Amino acid sequence: MTFFKLGAISFGGGYAMIPLIEGEVVENKKWVDKEKIVDIFAVAESLPGAIAINTSAFVGYSIAGIPGTVAALLGNLTPSVFIILVLSIMFAQVSSNTVVKSAFRGIYPAIVGLICYAGYKIGRTSVKDIFSLCIMVLAFVAATFLNIEPIPIIISGAILGVILAVFKTTKRVKNEKRKVKEK
Amino acid sequence: MRILAELFFMFAKLSTFSFGGGYVMFPILMNELERNKMATVSEMTDIIAIAGMSPGPVAVNAAVGLGYKVAGFPGVVAAFLGIAVPCAVIVTLVASFFFKIYKHPMVRSILNVLRPIITGIIFYAATGIALKNGIVNAAENTVIEKGWNVFVHGNQLFEIKSLILAVAAFFLLLKTRIHPIFIILGSGLLGIVLFK
Repeated sequence: MTFFKLGAISFGGGYAMIPLIEGEVVENKKWVDKEKIVDIFAVAESLPGAIAINTSAFVGYSIAGIPGTVAALLGNLTPSVFIILVLSIMFAQVSSNTVVKSAFRGIYPAIVGLICYAGYKIGRTSVKDIFSLCIMVLAFVAATFLNIEPIPIIISGAILGVILAVFKTTKRVKNEKRKVKEK
Repeated sequence: MRILAELFFMFAKLSTFSFGGGYVMFPILMNELERNKMATVSEMTDIIAIAGMSPGPVAVNAAVGLGYKVAGFPGVVAAFLGIAVPCAVIVTLVASFFFKIYKHPMVRSILNVLRPIITGIIFYAATGIALKNGIVNAAENTVIEKGWNVFVHGNQLFEIKSLILAVAAFFLLLKTRIHPIFIILGSGLLGIVLFK
């Protein structure tokens, strides 16, 4: 029953939700301890899917198993689903109005700015060196100018990650062998 | 029924491949829509704008908005389940297992490559919206009528007012703690002043 509380705190969405969840689940309810919640956030961000959904599913799962997952998801997402529904219905009625159209002419560039900001925010943690910068530029160029779909780009990125990991381990093993020989 | 299944599987696919949260989903979603013609790019941009204004995860909001547009309430349910089910399944199946392998060098290495890729794809999403809404390099039918368009050799290069709005939105988000909702609402008001 208490999972509905999670729904009430979902306002703000995505990254904004993280400190709210932490306060509620760790400090008020003491469902999970502080170290575990940091791990949950890290894992939720690494898994595919929206971060907010992953986090709430994770928290629900670690508290009460699969029923907990379902309860947390429903509790968390029901309010936003209702709000967006109301907005969509309202929008469908006014979308051909010229005032609304010109308002959206102004909103499009703001969305571009907003998404750039989301990219910048993620980039601050993901782009740490020249290698990751090159990967980022490469992904951008491949998608924008070569018209390659994002999903194949993501998959080839994962394959590259595997290759690099294998390469690193074999290199390390070789170095260790050499050291053993030198001794 | 077919359209509902299509909605469900489209969002399930998006959900499964969107590492790094909602905004990564948009460029993939745009490409999918271009293929299956469920909505036009400008309709989808409207939906993204509304999704960004509402509370809750932006990915869920966009799914619900598109689901409603395409197939009404059943569409909402199909799109919502499409987004939520893969997350729930992945989390319950992978949760305990993933905690163990999360620090494994192989997983680290994959995530180290994926994160900058996601970043690049998010910038691609922004560029895509700018291109398709006549803000930069507009095609003949997308040139903004009341805008200050800059032409070079008969091709539109960019539209000044939109460009200023985009840069202003970015720096307001970067330098102040203004909530995105107010940035979107404010730019809507400015849009009425600038483009009507």
